[in-house]
Amino acid sequence: MAIAVSQAGPVAAPKRHSQFYLGWKRFSKNYFAVAGLVWVAIFFIVGIIGPWIAPYSYKDADFLAMHTGPSWKHLFGTDTVGYDVFSQILFSIRYALEIALGATCVSFVIGVILGLWAGLAGGIADVIIMRGVDFMFALPSFFFALILVVLLGKGLGPMMLAIGVPGWAGYARLIRSLVLSMRNGEMVEAARALGASQSHIAFKYMFPNVVGSMVVSLAFGIPYDLTAQAGLSIVGMGLNPPMPSFGNMLAAAGENILGFPWLLYFPAGIFAITLLSFLFVADGLQEAFSPKGGM
Amino acid sequence: MFFLRFLAKRIVAIIITLAAVIAISYIMMYASPGGFMSTTQIATALAPLAAQDPVAYQKVMEQFQQRYGLNLPLWHQVLLYIWHSFTFNFGNSMENPSITIMSQLKSALPISVILAFASVVVSVVVGIPMGIIAALKRNTWIDYTVTTLSMFGQAIPSFVLAVIFVLIFGVVWQNVLPVTGWGTFSEAILPVISLAAGNIGVVARYMRGSLIETMRQDFIRTAKSKGVKYWPLVFKHGVKNSLTALITVIGPQFAFTVVGTVWVENIFAIPGLGKVINTAFTNFDFPLAITAVFILGATIMVTNLVVDLIYAWVDPRVKLQ
Repeated sequence: MAIAVSQAGPVAAPKRHSQFYLGWKRFSKNYFAVAGLVWVAIFFIVGIIGPWIAPYSYKDADFLAMHTGPSWKHLFGTDTVGYDVFSQILFSIRYALEIALGATCVSFVIGVILGLWAGLAGGIADVIIMRGVDFMFALPSFFFALILVVLLGKGLGPMMLAIGVPGWAGYARLIRSLVLSMRNGEMVEAARALGASQSHIAFKYMFPNVVGSMVVSLAFGIPYDLTAQAGLSIVGMGLNPPMPSFGNMLAAAGENILGFPWLLYFPAGIFAITLLSFLFVADGLQEAFSPKGGM
Repeated sequence: MFFLRFLAKRIVAIIITLAAVIAISYIMMYASPGGFMSTTQIATALAPLAAQDPVAYQKVMEQFQQRYGLNLPLWHQVLLYIWHSFTFNFGNSMENPSITIMSQLKSALPISVILAFASVVVSVVVGIPMGIIAALKRNTWIDYTVTTLSMFGQAIPSFVLAVIFVLIFGVVWQNVLPVTGWGTFSEAILPVISLAAGNIGVVARYMRGSLIETMRQDFIRTAKSKGVKYWPLVFKHGVKNSLTALITVIGPQFAFTVVGTVWVENIFAIPGLGKVINTAFTNFDFPLAITAVFILGATIMVTNLVVDLIYAWVDPRVKLQ
């Protein structure tokens, strides 16, 4: 008895895409996020090459051209001491990025270590670390940063630490919750039952599942650290002048706004657009890669 | 009984947290280079005396250390400082030794508190209707406008908004609204708006999400099938039930706003705690600065406790723990 066999040939399996590809697809449909990413990319490039394309050094005060408006010689004008605002902004971008990235790294590293420790060790270590997290969340970390600046000083490195060290709690809590959900998850259990090695489980199963939330939390961390850094300048505890920073420029512009409003246009505009772009990117990443929400 | 135990537990937690903050701050002041706490500064100031009259020098040094309790072991100093802070005996500031810290903060604290509360109230009053409209008109241009505006409010820090306001109302439209000072209603408008903008965004976004979630619930469908009209359905059933969840964002928002007041007060020249913190830190007047931070922190934590109590009172399903 002949059995009718389908002659249609192999069924084309739906094309499989990587998690990253699917996320990127979702991300690229979000125009705000893409626009933000473009600006962030420009910001990074300027941060890297800024000091070379700056027409003046941030330390070169042109005393003959104090508080002049924007012109070809001084693209964004000069401030009350005669510093070229355009060059100041270029250097500020560099320092702002260095501090924000450094601080975020510091928070992240401390948070990952403590979060892993709390999640994996459990017991008394878990209790103590989570008490610490509660303690850090009880007060705005900006206050801790303020106090740390007193101890550490106002240089680049101290700034990174002062902003970064108080920021660990959010990352620690996130990592701990990820560890706990992973450790006892069915997926890991299944992989173990199939005889997968520990490192195989860690890299092939655990890591791809946590990387999304971690990237999203980092993306939200950078604009927060940029804000904190400028906020420190507003209360006079920011980067030591004459090193330029957005916060210093904003604070100075606020004081001299009646006579020299152009001191505000470019620093405030660029800073606001940058923060907005970072937030759009972070929001887009969250929707694309971690729909359940990161931090 | 259960309630009292919860209250006691939370108050103890607040006290421990504040004590730890003071201890950390004090040790940092103690360790900070060039700080007043280190006796090196006075030692250099008195160096000529030390050369001339070592006995008198020794005496002055001892008196100085006695005065500030620096001859005690560090743990003793810390405990003493904590005790004095909790009994509101903050001592004198270092910049103006004749004035007590208490008297400096007495006038500043109400200003900051009013500023923070006013902006939280404004953000709730403005943010909730925005969120409701966005939720009801979901995926229309109204929704997109509200969501995008909320993003702007959240991304742009209050101090940037504040300087932009100073530019608009100090340079472009002069004499419309005052851009410095404190005391009259019109002087409060700009600071409150710059502080509220971020919160409005958060409240609107949260309200939108919460209402959309609530309108999907079964009881809404039941109410609809019973013939409840649209607006009573939205307000009596939907909004009322999504408002309870909104209370939880008010605590973190208040903390966020208090940090904002520290910035905004400096830009609008408002003599609140933020201004005090600025002058105190820049003048190395650490006791004053730490006390200001201590008081702001205490305000935040007490507000959070009150918010939690209100939440449990409004929504009986919530368990106090």
